[in-house]
Amino acid sequence: MSLLETLPEKLGVADSWTETGGVHWLTLGPMGIRDLAKAMNAVQARFITITAIELPGEEGFRLEYHWDLDGNLLGFPFTLPGKSIDSIYDLCEAVDWIEREIHEGYAIDFIGREYDPLLLREGQRMGVNLRKEAE
Amino acid sequence: MSYTIPMGPYHPGLEEPYKLDMICEGETVRDAKLHIGFNFRGIEHLAETRNHVQVIALMERVCGICSFIHTLTLCSAMEKLTGLTPPPRAKYIRVIMAELERLHSHVLWAGIAAKLMGFKTMFMTCFALREQVMDLLQAISGNRVNYSMNRIGGVNRDIEDPQALLRMVEALEKEMLKTVIPIFTTSTTAISRCAGVGVLTHEKAVSLGVVGPVARASGVAQDLRKAAPYAAYEEMEFDVPVQPAGDVTARLLVRALEIMESCKILRQALTKLPPGELNAGESKISFITGTATARVEAPRGEVMYSVSWKEGSQKPARVHVRTPTFVNMPAIRFMVQEARLADTPLIQASIDPCYSCTDR
Repeated sequence: MSLLETLPEKLGVADSWTETGGVHWLTLGPMGIRDLAKAMNAVQARFITITAIELPGEEGFRLEYHWDLDGNLLGFPFTLPGKSIDSIYDLCEAVDWIEREIHEGYAIDFIGREYDPLLLREGQRMGVNLRKEAE
Repeated sequence: MSYTIPMGPYHPGLEEPYKLDMICEGETVRDAKLHIGFNFRGIEHLAETRNHVQVIALMERVCGICSFIHTLTLCSAMEKLTGLTPPPRAKYIRVIMAELERLHSHVLWAGIAAKLMGFKTMFMTCFALREQVMDLLQAISGNRVNYSMNRIGGVNRDIEDPQALLRMVEALEKEMLKTVIPIFTTSTTAISRCAGVGVLTHEKAVSLGVVGPVARASGVAQDLRKAAPYAAYEEMEFDVPVQPAGDVTARLLVRALEIMESCKILRQALTKLPPGELNAGESKISFITGTATARVEAPRGEVMYSVSWKEGSQKPARVHVRTPTFVNMPAIRFMVQEARLADTPLIQASIDPCYSCTDR
């Protein structure tokens, strides 16, 4: 069996991948993003990006974390009822700029890290650039 | 005593605005901080206000050099949401355009690198060659920069005389072999400015997740054309050049060798161009609800588009673009550490940065 096929079991997930839209998706259940980042490091997957999606009404946000494993694009969705999620910057250096961009564009807080301004300048408003209706 | 020297946002050593604050001791750079955002246009937000035709024209303007690649990636993602598959001829034309764009990008970069080395004759030579590539792109598309070639389910224009293009590619390849590659790889000027300069170690390249020639010049053998083939790349034979040193010379060598591989791919694609339709037709387009993702190996590395759509909607719910420079640029901080201040313009240019792509 390939590493891709055995990965759900290693992550403690009973379901297998759902392949749709060019992505191998896996919903993790109780596993948090930090444990996922550690697991991705263990299998030497390459971090690609996080896509932030604003959900309708008061549903909050969905963050889709993407890694590459041997040419396969992996996707892990995390729904945020509020506006925060644990940062994985200390586990995955490559996540730095995209966490900062999402923080500035959507005012989502990545807990456990500090931010330097990326696209914005000192003192400019967070969450204006990409949210459908800025607060 | 340390002091900070700002380079940018507007500086003769930079092609576009960004800022590098370098913390120096004497002439040695100890650390650096990068500042972007001077080109921010809110394109991802604008994409949510465009229909499936308009959004292609909009995303073509994310980057002036990789404009074809951006529409290819966007259309590939939208094809997964519409169920449309490009016909074989369209897939080949996409490969031809993508490789011509890689040639254009790499030769342009070589010219800029030559200018920053103080090698003006080489700058002129490279830009003259770049004109030949742009002539080819114009011959196919009618345009020099934004080609308007891609549509959902295929391409807009045909390549009517592949043999004529083949002759132009062969002439270009001959000139590359005769001048550009030997001079860049053997001249004392190029080697003395580039060897051992701006090193990005293999470990750091992996940790930062850098892509494209920057990764391959640090010994990371990744190329989506091989690892996850798209368009007609599965039918092409080519090698992926990898260099282990991680310095500016390695990045130069990788791009020089990639120019030759692109010519190899172009020869195959132009010779084997299959007959048939150019696209699947406009009347069949209807989107399903969902998110689709596509990745393409741009000249600077992996581009990824994530497109979300709701069935019945005229406009996308979300378009997210991950450009190669967005992941390569943080590596500059580590490349300039312990470098000579005078080398920093060349070091930052060696990743072939696109600030517009990064800000988008």
